[in-house]
Amino acid sequence: MAKPKTVSKPRTTRQPRQHSLIWLQGLLCGAVVTLATPTALLLGVLLGPALLAILLDREPGRPRARSIALCSMAASVDPLRTLWTAGHSMAAATALLGNVQVVGTTWSAAAGGWLLAEVAPIAVRAILEALSIARGARLRAERAKLVEAWGLEAPPDDQ
Amino acid sequence: MANPDPTRSDGPLIANQYLVDASRTLPPVGGLAALGAVDQVSGRTDLMAIKLHRQLPPRPRAFQALAAPIEGLLTPLAYGPTGDACYAICLAPPGPSVLSRKRSWPEAELLDCVLRPAAHVLVHLQGRGMTHRGIRLDNVFQSAPGQPVVLGTAWAAPPAMAQPALFEPPYTAMCMPAGRGDGNIADDVYALGVLLLCLAIGHAPLAQLDDAAIIRRKLERGSYAALAGDVRLPPIIGDLVRGMLAEVPEHRPTPTLLLDPAAARERRVAARPPRRAQRPINLVGGDIWDARSLAYGLAVEPSQGMNALRSNVIEQWLRRGLGDAQLAARVEELVRHLPPSASDDGAALVMRVIAIIDPLAPLCWCGLALWPDGIGTALAVAQSGDPDAAAKLEDVVIRQEAGNWAALRADRCDFEALRVETRRQHSWLQQRGHGGGVTLLSYLLNPLLPCASPLLDGHWVARLTDLLPALEETAGRVDRRQTEPVDTHVAAFIAARLERRLDKELSVRTGGSAEAACLAQIRVLAQLQARLHPRPLPALAAWFGTRAEPVLATWRNRARRAGVEERLQAPMRTGYLSPMLLALEDPAGRSADAQEAREAAQQLARIDAELAQIAGGAQGRAATAARLGREVAAGFGLTALATVLAVAALG
Repeated sequence: MAKPKTVSKPRTTRQPRQHSLIWLQGLLCGAVVTLATPTALLLGVLLGPALLAILLDREPGRPRARSIALCSMAASVDPLRTLWTAGHSMAAATALLGNVQVVGTTWSAAAGGWLLAEVAPIAVRAILEALSIARGARLRAERAKLVEAWGLEAPPDDQ
Repeated sequence: MANPDPTRSDGPLIANQYLVDASRTLPPVGGLAALGAVDQVSGRTDLMAIKLHRQLPPRPRAFQALAAPIEGLLTPLAYGPTGDACYAICLAPPGPSVLSRKRSWPEAELLDCVLRPAAHVLVHLQGRGMTHRGIRLDNVFQSAPGQPVVLGTAWAAPPAMAQPALFEPPYTAMCMPAGRGDGNIADDVYALGVLLLCLAIGHAPLAQLDDAAIIRRKLERGSYAALAGDVRLPPIIGDLVRGMLAEVPEHRPTPTLLLDPAAARERRVAARPPRRAQRPINLVGGDIWDARSLAYGLAVEPSQGMNALRSNVIEQWLRRGLGDAQLAARVEELVRHLPPSASDDGAALVMRVIAIIDPLAPLCWCGLALWPDGIGTALAVAQSGDPDAAAKLEDVVIRQEAGNWAALRADRCDFEALRVETRRQHSWLQQRGHGGGVTLLSYLLNPLLPCASPLLDGHWVARLTDLLPALEETAGRVDRRQTEPVDTHVAAFIAARLERRLDKELSVRTGGSAEAACLAQIRVLAQLQARLHPRPLPALAAWFGTRAEPVLATWRNRARRAGVEERLQAPMRTGYLSPMLLALEDPAGRSADAQEAREAAQQLARIDAELAQIAGGAQGRAATAARLGREVAAGFGLTALATVLAVAALG
């Protein structure tokens, strides 16, 4: 007889909440599409890379998607305001979407967000390594001084 | 021979009074070189300087007991070292030795010029608790025929060491020369008897025999029969010599009795001749007919004797051949109760059997024979060139065999005194390690033995006061890095001669670290300098300074170590060891140094741990960088969004 699959406890408790969140998001998106179709259309196109990133980013917390989304959202504020000030119509939405500068800026912001998510860890690591090297050098100098003063064992090789 | 010059002032000076005249060589005294000497105070030139031998310690009691001169005896006037030699000063012999007279002496001259003067000397020696042990043809002098003889020196070397077997009782003659001991005055009476015999017949008898043959002959026939044989002696001399050559010391006339030859002649002690067996026993390549010769054979050939004892050959011979069932029973009982052990290969059994068979015999151990009071001098001589004999003597002391030997013949010696002395020697020998053991025992038993350290080559150091100046001179010519100032001999010499024992300090050398050894040496010599030689010793201090590296190395902090080294320089220049010791020991400084060293080690451990953490933390840092980087990116995006929203809201 096949053993029943063991399911971890957190997963069993978290799944219903996730499902309800997805349902809530779906409901919200449905409401937006129904009640504010131009806005939904505009945001759907402008935040397309962010949505794509959300689908593709499988890392916990989706750091890349989060960064892309935030940058895209920041770039989408101005077109959205323009849409709303222009009467919030499908024509205005399509006009805005036809403007290469608007779409290009927003998607460039998304690209910038992705780049930032990739570069920031490297930069931080470089900073941390530099700090470690400096600390190691200080410790080795201190050690050499102790060895010299007390005739302790020879200093170890550079680490 | 050059004429003595009382005005000369060159040459070694003894006791600030007696000048040794190296240009005036005198006939040797008992194998020791003799030179002329001049008393610079009185101008006397009829003096003799006897050059002492380094390995043959003089008799220590003689220099005190003979401080007052005895008429008819060459007594020591002074004694002291000069450089690498040591001289004892005494009056020169008044004339040639009696050996030079090749004819028979008349009986009257023998009585008046030899017997009475010599007996007079022996009476005085006995009164001072001394023996002479040097009465022989070449050590008795006469200024002119008809004059009383003068006994020569007998205190410049171990007692009876130069005596030929002819002039000694067989039980002394069989001993190793340096192990004959002081003996008693009866041994001098024996030697005087032999001297009278030689002078009476005009020559030394048994000249064709070697010492072993003479001893065997004396034991087989008795001394008088062996020496006099069929020779016709003057009647008085013959009777006297017969009594003086009695085998049992108590049977010999006393010196006081010899002052009156007529009375001495009348004293006859009925001594039984040795019992002769019906059949001989073949033991050491020859036939043995009596118990005394058997004991001698066992002493000379202990391994053969051991085999004969194991196979009961000796017991059977004693019972059936000699007819002494009582003696055979005692030997049988001894063999049964004392089986040979692996440690001594039967030496203890042979020694005991000899003591039972012949109670007059000396202590015989593994082929060595000695009297217990001669073990010190025997040890000193053996240590200088006979390690095998030295090991056997050490064995005798370790096993306290002298006490065991005395217990078997308690009626012939002071058993209690000998047992106490044996235990004392044993306890001294127990002090092992540097400056202990047999070397220490040798110096303790020979108070006038000079230090035999190779460091003191060229110096005669018999007193502690002479040690530091000699070491100071040595310090200038040795390789200070390779040579220790206090070697085994110097340590043993100090331990033996110093009133307050330095066992604790000197024992540090044994198995201790190099720095502890160095400090112990400085401590000992600093004490000597403070007590005996309060003068600077710069070369010795520099020697210790050179060898102080292990002690300096125990200071952990290098700056502090350099400070100690700096503080050492001043006492090294001035030549005082106590300040050096203070600088090197410095308990307060050492305590602080040790505490700080511990703290430094802990700090070093912390640093090493942190460095290891840094070296091994690359992965952790990468994970942290990834997490932080994403947070930074998110924060940047959030900030941008907030800024844009704010701008949009404002206008």
